[in-house]
Amino acid sequence: MAYHTTLFLFVFLPLALICYHFAPQKWRGYVLIGFSYLFFWMNSKELLAYLIGTTLLTHHIGIWLDGLTIKEANAEAEEKKQIKKQRKRVLLLGIVILLGVLISMKYQNFIGLNASRVAEHFSIRYSFDPVAIVLPLGISFYTLQAIGYMVDVYWKKIEADYSLEKTALFLSFFPQIMEGPICRYSDTADTLYKKSPLKLENLQHGSLRIVWGLFKKIVIADRLAVVVKTVFDSYADYHGIIIVVAALAYTIQLYMEFSGAIDMVIGTGVMFGVKLPENFRQPFFAENASGFWRRWHITLGVWFKEYIFYPVSVSKIVKKWNRYGRKNVGKYWTKIVTSAVALFPVWLCNGIWHGPRWSYIFYGMYYFTLIMIGILLEPIRKKVLQTLHINPKQLWYRALQFVKLMVIVITGELFFRADSLRIGVRMFRSIFQDFQPSILFDGNLLNLGIDNLDFMVILVGCMIVLLVDLMKEKKVALTEKLEHWRLPIRWSVYYGLILAVIIFGAYGEGYQVIDLIYAGF
Amino acid sequence: MKKIRTIIFVALLIGILFGISGVINHVYLKKSNMVTGREENLAGLQKEEDNTIDLLVLGDSESYTSISTMMLWKEDGISSYIGAQSGQQIQETYYMLKQALQTQKPKLVMLETHVLFRDNAGMDAYRSVMEENAMYHFSVFRYHNIWKRLLSSNIGDDRQFFKGFRVRDSVAPYDGGDYMQETTVKKQMTGFVKNYLQQIIDICKENDIPILFYSAPSPVNYNYQKHNTLIEYTENAGIPYVDLNMMTSELGIDWTKDTLDHGDHLNIYGAQKVTKYMRKYLEENYNLPDHRGQQKYKDWDVLEDQYEKRLLTLKV
Repeated sequence: MAYHTTLFLFVFLPLALICYHFAPQKWRGYVLIGFSYLFFWMNSKELLAYLIGTTLLTHHIGIWLDGLTIKEANAEAEEKKQIKKQRKRVLLLGIVILLGVLISMKYQNFIGLNASRVAEHFSIRYSFDPVAIVLPLGISFYTLQAIGYMVDVYWKKIEADYSLEKTALFLSFFPQIMEGPICRYSDTADTLYKKSPLKLENLQHGSLRIVWGLFKKIVIADRLAVVVKTVFDSYADYHGIIIVVAALAYTIQLYMEFSGAIDMVIGTGVMFGVKLPENFRQPFFAENASGFWRRWHITLGVWFKEYIFYPVSVSKIVKKWNRYGRKNVGKYWTKIVTSAVALFPVWLCNGIWHGPRWSYIFYGMYYFTLIMIGILLEPIRKKVLQTLHINPKQLWYRALQFVKLMVIVITGELFFRADSLRIGVRMFRSIFQDFQPSILFDGNLLNLGIDNLDFMVILVGCMIVLLVDLMKEKKVALTEKLEHWRLPIRWSVYYGLILAVIIFGAYGEGYQVIDLIYAGF
Repeated sequence: MKKIRTIIFVALLIGILFGISGVINHVYLKKSNMVTGREENLAGLQKEEDNTIDLLVLGDSESYTSISTMMLWKEDGISSYIGAQSGQQIQETYYMLKQALQTQKPKLVMLETHVLFRDNAGMDAYRSVMEENAMYHFSVFRYHNIWKRLLSSNIGDDRQFFKGFRVRDSVAPYDGGDYMQETTVKKQMTGFVKNYLQQIIDICKENDIPILFYSAPSPVNYNYQKHNTLIEYTENAGIPYVDLNMMTSELGIDWTKDTLDHGDHLNIYGAQKVTKYMRKYLEENYNLPDHRGQQKYKDWDVLEDQYEKRLLTLKV
C-alpha cells in the first residue's frame, strides 16, 4: 500500500485522521504510532520487528549518550577523557549495529557474489549462494534517520529524548517511512510531538498538496513509465535518438514521481500539523551538477553533508593535509585534494545507498567526477568569464548551462535506470549508432507504447509543472496567492486539478499500476 | 463559515463527478465503440435498449468464448448478452449484474463458474471492491479514458462484438488427455468468493430471476475437485448446475480443433457445440420467449447478418 493508492487515500488516511481527531491529546502520539506500525505491517508484515528493534536501540543509545554527557560535565579532567572515549564507543556500537543490519540485509548478496568473483579470479576456493532477502519497508530511510539522531546526541546538538513514544514516532511516522524525506530530529521533532488538533486549514492545504502530487505521479510519470519500460526492457532493439528519448523520459518520470510522492508525503504531514522538510527545489534550474544535487533529494544530500562530508573535512588527517598543503603545494591544490577526500565517500555512499548494484556505484562516481571537474575548472571558468566580459546571468549563458546540466543529468539517469552497468554502457554507446533526429517526427515514437494523445497530455502536464516550478523559483508563494483569489476562480483551479487527475490519470484499462520507484531503494 | 464552504465544495465536486458520469452513461456509451478492451462488455450493456435482454450470461473469458449469443438468436430468438471481462473477479461479476439490472429485467442469469475459483482474498480483494463500488456509482472513474475516443478520428465501426460474444477461430490443440479424473477431494472457494456469490444469488432472488450455473469445457481451468465443490454448493443452494466438462464426448468436443489456446478457452467451433447443447437445455428447462420478427429487436437481425458473414469467411 503506497501513498497514491486508493486504499491509502480513501481508507487508511481518513481512518487515521478520524482516530487522531477523536483521541485525547495525550493519546494522539500513540494513535500515530499505531497507524504507522499498521502501515509498516501492511507492507512488510513481520519485518516490523526490524523497525521496532531499531527504535529500541536508537532510544537506548540516545539515553546512554545523554547520561554520559551529564557524567562528563561533572567529572574531573582525567575522568572526562575516559567518558569521552566511552561516548565514542557507545555511538560506534549503535552505528555498527544499525549499519550491520542494513548491510547484511541489503548488500549481503552483492558483497558475497563480488567476493566470489574476486576469489575465482585469484583461484581461491570460495563460493557464495545468494540468499533471498525481503527488505523491511524504508530500511534505507529510517536507518539514516536513526544514525543521524544518535550522532546529533553525541555531538550535543540535541538532547536525547527520554520518551520512547517520541523516538518511535520519529522513526516510524507513516507518511515518510516509505520514501523519506530523511528527517533530522531537529527538523521534525517540534511539530511531530506537538500533537496539534486537526485544523480545517491544514486539511485543505494538505489535500491540495496531495492532489498536486497525484497529478505529477498519475498524469505524467505513470504515462512516461510505459515509454521507459518499453525501451529499457528491450534495449537491444533500440539505438540512436530513441535511447535519448527514453533517458529523457526516465529523467522526467523520476522527477515527477519522486517529487510527486514527496508532495503527497508532505501534504499528509500537513494534515496532522506536522511540517516535514522539502526534498526538491526546482532541480533543473540549478547552474551545475553540484547545484542540482542541492535541489534534488535534498534531505539525502544534507544527511551526507552533515554526517560524512563535515566529519571527514574536519578530521585530523584532513586538517594535517590542509596545513601541509598550504605551505607546500598552494591553496588551489590543497582545496582540490581536501574536496576529493571529503566528497569521495559522500558520492560513493550516495551511489551505494540506492542499492547493491555496480550501476549505482558508477552513478555516484559519475557525479563525483563531474563535481571534481567543476571544482578543478572553476578558476579557469571565472577567468574566461572575466576576460570575455560575460555576465553569467545573461539568458544565453543560462540556456547553455541548462543544456549542459540536462546532458549531465539525462546521461546519469540512463545508467541509473539500466538494469546493469554493462547494459548502461551498451545503451550509451548505442546512442551514437545511426543517430537520426528525423525519427522524432516520422511516427516512430508512437511505437513506444503510448499514443499521440498521451504525448500531448505529458507535454501539457510538464508545462504546467514547469510554470509552477518557475513561480516557486521566483519565490512566489503559490498556495498563499491562491487563497487570495476570488472564490470561483480558486475553486475552478481546485476542481480543474482534481478532474485532471481523474480524467487524464494513467490508471485503469490500458495502464499498469506503477509502484513508487524510491520505495524500492 | 469555512466548514460550510468546505461542505459545499465537496458536495459540488460530487455533483460534478455525478454529472460527468451521467453524460458518459447516457450520451457517449450509447454510441458505437466508445469503449474497447476489457470494459467493452460492461460498456456495451449501457447501449442495449431497456428491458430487451432475457438471458444474461455472467463470468470471465470462459463465458464469452463458450456461448454464442447470435446462435441463440438465430435458432430460438433468445435475446442474450454476455456480461463478462477477461479475468473477471467475483466482485466485478456482482457489479456487472447490478449494472445490468439498472436497465434490464432478464428472465434467466447464467453464471459461468470459473470465476468462483479465483484466489480472491486479502487486502487486494477489498481494494478492488472499493474501486468497483466507486466505478459503479461514478462511471467517470471507469471510463475516464473516453476522452481519447472522442478526440480520435478512427473510432471505426462494429467489429467482432456480438452482444458480448467474440468470434475467435484460432486453433491450438489440447493433447493432455482426460482431465476430469474422479476424486473425492474438493477445491475450496474462498470466503470472499462465497460471500459475493451469496449476494449475487440474493439479488437474483429479490428480482425473481432464476440462476443457472454452468462450467464451460476447459481442461486448463477445470478438474474433478472443482466439480465436487460445485455439485455440493449447488445442491445445498438448490441451484441447477450443468458441468459441460463431464459431457465433452456428448457435446462432440474435439480438443484438436475446438480450442484456441491449448484447452484454456473454446474457439468458435467449440462455442457452437456448447451453444447447441445449451439451446436444448434452455428449451427444456426455461421458457425464454422468441423475439424474432419483433420491431424492438430489428437490430438483432442486422447483427446476426454480420455474424453470419463473419462465419462465412471462416467457413464454419
